[in-house]
Order: sequence, then C-alpha cells, then structure tokens
Amino acid sequence: MTKIFITLVTTTLLAFSLAAVAQDADPARAGTTAEKAAAAGAGEARSREDFRAIDQEVQTLKKEVLDLNRDLFLLEEELLFPANSQVAFFVSLDVGEYFNLDSVNIKIDGKEVANYLYTAREADALMRGGVHRVHMANLKTGEHELVAVFVGKGPNVRDYRRGATMTFDKGIGAKYVELEITDSVKKQQPEFAIKEWE
Amino acid sequence: MRASRLFILRFCVLLLVTVPVVQAAGDRVEPVEIKDPQFGEALFHFYQEDYVPAIVRLLVAKEQNQLSDHAEEADLLLGGMYLSYGHHLEAAEIFEDLLASNVAPDIRDRTWFFLAKIWYQRGYLDKARGALANIAGALPEHLENEAAMLGAQIQIDAGNFDQAIAGLSNWKGQTEWARYAKFNTGVALVRSGRIEEARVLLDELGSMAPYNDETNALRDKANVALGYALLQDGQPQAAKIPLQRVRLEGPFSNKALLGVGWADAEMSSYRRALVPWMELRGRDLLDSAVQESLLAIPFAMAKLDAISQAADHYLNAIEAFNEESNRLDETIGFIESGDFFNQFIANDPLNSSGWYWNLQTLPEGLESRYLFHLLATHQFQEGLKNYRDLHYLNRNIEDWLRNVDVFENMLETRKEAYAQRLPLVEAALERADLDRMVESKLSFDSTLDSIESSHDWLSLAKKSEFDMWDEVTGLERGRAVRADLPEAAEVRDKVDLLKGVLQWNLERDFKERLGLVRRDLYLSGEALVETQRSRRQIDEVMRTEPLRFEALSDRVYGLAPRLESTRLQIADAIIRQRDFLQEIAVGELQAQKDRLGVYSVQARFALAAIYDISSSSEEVSE
Repeated sequence: MTKIFITLVTTTLLAFSLAAVAQDADPARAGTTAEKAAAAGAGEARSREDFRAIDQEVQTLKKEVLDLNRDLFLLEEELLFPANSQVAFFVSLDVGEYFNLDSVNIKIDGKEVANYLYTAREADALMRGGVHRVHMANLKTGEHELVAVFVGKGPNVRDYRRGATMTFDKGIGAKYVELEITDSVKKQQPEFAIKEWE
Repeated sequence: MRASRLFILRFCVLLLVTVPVVQAAGDRVEPVEIKDPQFGEALFHFYQEDYVPAIVRLLVAKEQNQLSDHAEEADLLLGGMYLSYGHHLEAAEIFEDLLASNVAPDIRDRTWFFLAKIWYQRGYLDKARGALANIAGALPEHLENEAAMLGAQIQIDAGNFDQAIAGLSNWKGQTEWARYAKFNTGVALVRSGRIEEARVLLDELGSMAPYNDETNALRDKANVALGYALLQDGQPQAAKIPLQRVRLEGPFSNKALLGVGWADAEMSSYRRALVPWMELRGRDLLDSAVQESLLAIPFAMAKLDAISQAADHYLNAIEAFNEESNRLDETIGFIESGDFFNQFIANDPLNSSGWYWNLQTLPEGLESRYLFHLLATHQFQEGLKNYRDLHYLNRNIEDWLRNVDVFENMLETRKEAYAQRLPLVEAALERADLDRMVESKLSFDSTLDSIESSHDWLSLAKKSEFDMWDEVTGLERGRAVRADLPEAAEVRDKVDLLKGVLQWNLERDFKERLGLVRRDLYLSGEALVETQRSRRQIDEVMRTEPLRFEALSDRVYGLAPRLESTRLQIADAIIRQRDFLQEIAVGELQAQKDRLGVYSVQARFALAAIYDISSSSEEVSE
C-alpha cells in the first residue's frame, strides 16, 4: 500500500517539477505528455487569438484618436488663424557650434508678440534639424516690420544677444517667415537672419 | 527665394533612429534640405520623442498638401513614428506601399525585420513569418543574428521543430549568438524527442567556461534543461551531472537542487536526496521547487522508515501550503477588484505611448512576486502596453473634451464679428457705385478719342489757359475792339497776337497733355479693374462666409459627440484589455493555487497512509 502511494507521489511530483521548470527552460516542455502539450498549445493559441482581437481594436482606436487630433488641429488653426491673414514664424538652427539658443523674442510692428524660452531638449531638437513654429499671427495685408532678438551663449560660452530686422509684405494667403541661426565658419561667429519661406 | 537650410538628418535610418538597439548600427549620414517648414516642425517633435504631436503635425501637413518636397521622407518618417506609437498595423500598411517602390534595399530589409519583431511579440506569428520572408538581402551582422534567432523561435512556437533545427544548425563559432543558437537547437531537439542529439549540444553549453552573468545564466539554463530532459528520459544518473553543474545561488539553483534530489530518489538513494531538498526547504516558499521540496522531504523520510519525522514534515507542509494558498486567494481578490491595474496606471506618468515603453519597475506588493514570471512574458508585457496606451488615448480625448467649449466660443465670436462688420461693409459698397464709375471712365475714353481725332487742343488747356482764352476771345467779341478805329485795329492786332501765342503753346503741348491724360485714364481703368476684383472677392466672401460658418458649425458642434463616442469605445477597450490581463494573471495564480491544492492533497493522503501504517503496526504489536 505504501509502495503504491510512494510511486504515485513520485510520478506526480516529477510531472510537476518538469512542468514548473518549463517556465524557465523551454526544453522541459518535452517533459509534459503529448496531451498536456496539445492542450497547452491550444490554450496558447486561443489566448493569442484573444490578444490579437483586443490588439486590433486598440489599433483601430489609435487611428481614430490620431484622425481626431488631426481634425481638431486643423479646426483650431482654421478658427484662430484663417489662411488669408495667417503668418507663421519658424525658428531654425544650422549646426549651432557658435551659439546655444536660450530664447527668442519677437516684435511685430513694434509690439511684442512672443518671448519663447527653449528647454535643453527643444534646443537639441533644433540642432538636430527640427524647425520650431514659435508664433502664429493674424496680420492685415500690407507691409509689416519684424524684429527678432536671439539670446543665448555665443563663442567661448559668453552671453550673447543679437537682433535681426526685416520688413515683409503680407499678401492674400498664408505666409511663413523663418528666423534662421547659422554658423559663419569664416567669422567664427553665429549669424542671424530673417527670411520669407516660400 | 527658398528659405530653408541644411541639416544633418540620418534619413537613411530615420525610422530606425527610434529604435535604441540599432542606433550604433553604422548609420549613413546624408545632408537633407528642409524645404517644407511643416516637415521640419514634425522633426522638431520627433527629435524630442513626442511622437503623437509629431504624427499629428505630419498628418495635418499631408492633409493640407504642404509636404510636396518631402512626400516620401514624410511617409517613411510617419511609418517609423507609427511603430514608436505602437500603431504597427498602420505602419505596416505604409511600409508595404513604400517598400514596393524605390526604397533602398537595406532600409526595406531592416524595416521588415522590425515589423517581424513587433509582430512576434504581439503574437502575430503568421505576419512575423511573412515579414522575415520578405527580407531579401543581408542585414547588418547583429540584426542578421537576431533575425535568424527570431525565425527559429517562430518555428519552435509553431511546433515546427525540424525547420527550427535546420535554421539554427548553420551557426558556427563561439560567439554569444552561436551559444544561444545551440541552446535553442537543443530546445527544439528535446521537444521533438531527439534527446541524445540535444544532449551533445546542451552538455557542451553546460560545460563551457562562463565569463559574465549572461554566459553563467545560459550555462545554468542549459544544465537544468538537460538534467530534466534526462530525468524524464529515465536516466537519473546521467541527469545528476548537468544538474550538479548549476550554481548554488542563481535563478536556476532551486530547480537544480530539486532535480538532483529526484535523480537520487529515482536511484533509491533517499538519504542523498534529502541533502539538496533540506537545503531547498529554507528558501523562498514562492518558488515551486521549494514548495515541492516540502513534500519530497517527508517522502524520502518515509522511504528511510523515519515515519514519525515524515508525519511531522507532512503536517508542516500542509500548514505551509494552506498559508500560501490563503495569500494567493488574497492576491486573486486584489487583482479581480481591478485595483492592481489601477495602481499600475496611477503610478505611471503616461507621458508617451507605444512599443518602446517597458515596465521598468514592478508594482510594489505581494502580487508582483507571484506574477514575476508572467510579467516577463511578451503577451503580458504587450497587453500592459496596450492597457497603458489606451489610458494615454483616454487622457488625450478627455483633454480635448474639456476644450470643446473653447472651439464653440471661437466660432461664435467669429460669427458675431462678421455679423457686426457686415452692415458697415454693405453700406460702403452701396456708396461705391462701381458701374457708374466704369461708365464715366468709358465716357472719358470716348471724349479723349474725340479730342485726339479732332485735334481739339483747347480741350486740354489748363484752367488758367482756358480763362485766358476766354478773356481774349471775350475782348475780341467786344464792341470797342470791333470799332473801325485805328486804336481798335491796334488792339485787334494785339488780341490776335495773344490768341496766336496761346494757341501755339496749346498746340505745342497738345500731344504731351494727351499722353498724360491717357496715362491717368489708363491708371484709373486699372484701379477700377482692381476695385471690381476686390468687389467680386467681397461678394464671394459674403456669399461663402455663411456657408463656411455652417460647415464649421457642423464640424465644431459635431466634435463633442465624436469625442464622446471615441471615449466610450476607449473605455470599453480598457475594460476588455484589463479583463484579458486579469484573466491571465488570475489564471497564473489559480494554477499556483491548484498546484498547492494537489500538493496538499498528496500530503494529506501520505499522512493518512502513515497513520494507517502506524495504527496497523500498533495493532500487530498488541
């Protein structure tokens, strides 16, 4: 009687041992019986199917949320800055060896409209080639004066503050203006320019 | 004028830039000119790893046809960011379109590889296999190895062991990848029942000299796998050798100690078996090997006729299993209440979404210890990512829902401003009779033509000249001047002279004056045309603005229901995703509980048998 019991315990425990180790070492799956393996396989497949069904639903929702965000962005822009009067001001940085940008101040027709302080992450994104839309405005058709003041660290980590001025003509339709910071290797200095982006 | 500048964009590996693991992979650097500011703007967010704003900027720019100079780059960037956002099906669609066209083969192959990897992790085995099959050329070495390993893993998961073995058999040398390939080949061989072949490979791995944590772990893993395979194959003596090679402290040590004990027990060396099992007894009871040792010890003691001690150990084991089972019940209750996943989200800043997010630290509490293995599985991890992403989406929609009023206010303000300006504009238009102005202009043209054809030099005289002419001709008509007197004749001569001078001057200037008047008339005509154009624009705006407001109203007032519907769908998906994760977690805990239940029954059964033997012995002795 005891012998039968012990054999039973041994067999059961060995099966459990092998099943338990399967979590860490795949070969131990060989230790399960064919039926157990088939049942486990079927369970895994079912679970995978369930996961896929939810995952596909999540994918659809992600697309829907992106579409909504796109539509809302467009609507916001259309309501706040209609195409006829829209002017967008962008900041870009080429190379940036001679200048670390801290902030940009923008005046249009003598009125301060933006004073943007850059985080290290944003400044890095600019250096890597990103273009920052620093300000959007509604302007009437005709001539306007733009003054941009760039503040940061120049060569030899010295405080640096430089301005650039430009008069631009606003016609019918959206206008894009670029505040561009470039490196002048010849002068070993940064250069600042304002251009119309066409 | 083009106002853009050069910058260094690692464009050739743009989508791969988002994959930290391949950043060191010999990226090709190409200067790319930003020609569309909207593309640069998307890059600005992309480089800050703010993928959702970057994707939205690109989608907006595409919708407004603002990416004419970066169409292909934008699609590639979008595809890469979709991957980062965890939107793999949409990314695949873009790539499938792009990869069919003129994308460089190395980008194409890398892209297929990453899609295969994502799909494998998400359980899309068929898609993963298809993506790997699409790789046409050679990948960089580290990716090539990973791809081959991935291919073998997919075959193993699908039960195609022979294909997996064939795929892995080409690996040569002593590199880490070659060692993993050997291990996986061993796995496939064991699972296809070819134990002796597996033994050679796993034995080689299990005997290697480890030089870091990773090789130590692989060595232990191979030894445990081989030991249990041999035990299962009825070779306990052979099984002991690899099991005894496993380190005493490590993630596989408990399994190895248990296995060594069973190998001895199989060979009826119960006293020897007790040594590793007694060592196990003092270890963490959460480990199934430790739990099992609680039963194995009294089993061995009973075999050694230490019945009384065996009974004590069985009693201790039953108590320990009960306590553990109660803790599992508590944990199951906690998970089923949803609090586990709520805490998980509450502790997460939700500042990004997507595939590259990983659970960095386990939530505190008992449940994390029980779910340790589960938390490391692809399915649970990917499920957690989805659960987290759904909360991210939910927060995005709720933010917009809070701003719906602002959109409505903006629209109403614009409508009001238009309504206020409209009467003023209408009144101004009423005053400006453009038709009459055009008629006047045409009449002037005709008069000037007539002046020119009749050479009517007097018509172009200035007012002073005209007054003078009037005065002179008035004198001429005067009675005194016409009198037949010598003085009158003298005056008539002077008048004639004056008239002659005046006429001579006017005729001399006639052409010049005619030209000036013609030029003025021409400019007036141009101004009139411009005014008419403006008028047409104003008329068009007055006609279309109400329609535009109507269209905007539909969009603005349609927002709240659209957002609300999406929010509900997200809430629904959150519940389903949480239920799915809960089901897996509870299933895992329930399996542990069931195992403890079986152990407990075995212990009680063994205890009853011991009591039965004891009472029988007493009866015999009496």
